[in-house]
Amino acid sequence: MKIRYAQGRTDEISIDVTTIEQVLLQLEINPVEVIVSKNGHLVPEDAMVSNDDEIRIFRIVHGG
Amino acid sequence: MTPGESSSPADTVPCSRCPSPAITVLRNSGIHLCGEHFAEDIEQRVRHSINEYSMIKEGDRIAVALSGGKDSTVLLYLLHKFLHGRKDLEIFALTVDEGIAGYREDTISSAEHISASLGIDHIIVSFREEYGRSLDELLRRRENRACTVCGVLRRQLLQRAARANGATKLATGHSLDDEVQSAMMNILRGDVRRIARVLPSDDASSFVPRVKPLRDIPEREVAMYGMVKGIYVNIRDCPYARFALRSDVRSLMNEMEYRHPGTLHRVMNGYDALTSRVGGMFPNQSLLACRECGEPCTGERCSACALVHSMNRENMGH
Ligand code: SF4
Ligand SMILES: [Zn+2]
Ligand SMILES: [Zn+2]
Repeated sequence: MKIRYAQGRTDEISIDVTTIEQVLLQLEINPVEVIVSKNGHLVPEDAMVSNDDEIRIFRIVHGG
Repeated sequence: MTPGESSSPADTVPCSRCPSPAITVLRNSGIHLCGEHFAEDIEQRVRHSINEYSMIKEGDRIAVALSGGKDSTVLLYLLHKFLHGRKDLEIFALTVDEGIAGYREDTISSAEHISASLGIDHIIVSFREEYGRSLDELLRRRENRACTVCGVLRRQLLQRAARANGATKLATGHSLDDEVQSAMMNILRGDVRRIARVLPSDDASSFVPRVKPLRDIPEREVAMYGMVKGIYVNIRDCPYARFALRSDVRSLMNEMEYRHPGTLHRVMNGYDALTSRVGGMFPNQSLLACRECGEPCTGERCSACALVHSMNRENMGH
């Protein structure tokens, strides 16, 4: 599965079919601190993902 | 795989209120919402906060503190959405340029952009004009004090500029996360006077009253609302942010919120109950005028002037 970070970095990991939340935990990211899109659409943390998907992780920057 | 289970995972989770795909799940209730229903939910909750705390009344001229980051951008958007039809109210945007090289330029142009696109007057004031130096210049080698200095000076400048421009309210984009972090920081510092809210910056009648319409909305939901409405501003962190106690408190509270959902709301409710009870514990100090800038304060100099004074003295001394 391809992972894009909003800062431009990308990553490729292999997963079994699982939830966004599990992927984030595997990446040691607190789901409370990010918003995730799957194949270009925002999705809830309990959405399923597989190796064919591309997810994008927006870290919520403090301040504003 | 057992028979009856679908062979491929459902591509989307439906909204709990309509057939559209959900973009989020509210962690407290497990309710899934699509973009439209999520936005509706946020708008309702913000309206509720505004009413519950009587934040806005007829005849108000509201200065909206606009840093150009995501929270204040969403705040300006929402206040405009709620109020632009009202003939008895005015809003304008107010931006403080602290002078943080490599960071503030982007947020200021984004503040200009959102104000212009909503047709809202936009006033920019700066540390350099007001205090003679930018934050970068004031700090030299004392980066660890950045947020304290920045916070005190910005709060004062916002007050002064709001008043100078005839504002009757000063609205800021503080989210639930910000408010909980501030509460926790007061506790971690043992700052009882601040917990009891006796600092003149909050309540004194000579100050333009501050209102925080996003105070019940988690920061993540504010950001998501911005994305849904196409006004999300993705900027980098302030270069000084890593020095702040707030960064550590933020990670800690996020961890607690993830492991024990609802923590932020519970802390805030408890803290509100606490401050409303201990609020009268300290005698009110009478307000004098700062001998340098004339701002209301409790000593000879206001905290902003005292700070600039001491920073300048240190700059010359070393
Ligand atoms: S992180 Fe600190 S220094 Fe940077 S803008 Fe915020 S308060 Fe100011
Ligand atoms: Zn819906
Ligand atoms: Zn002063």
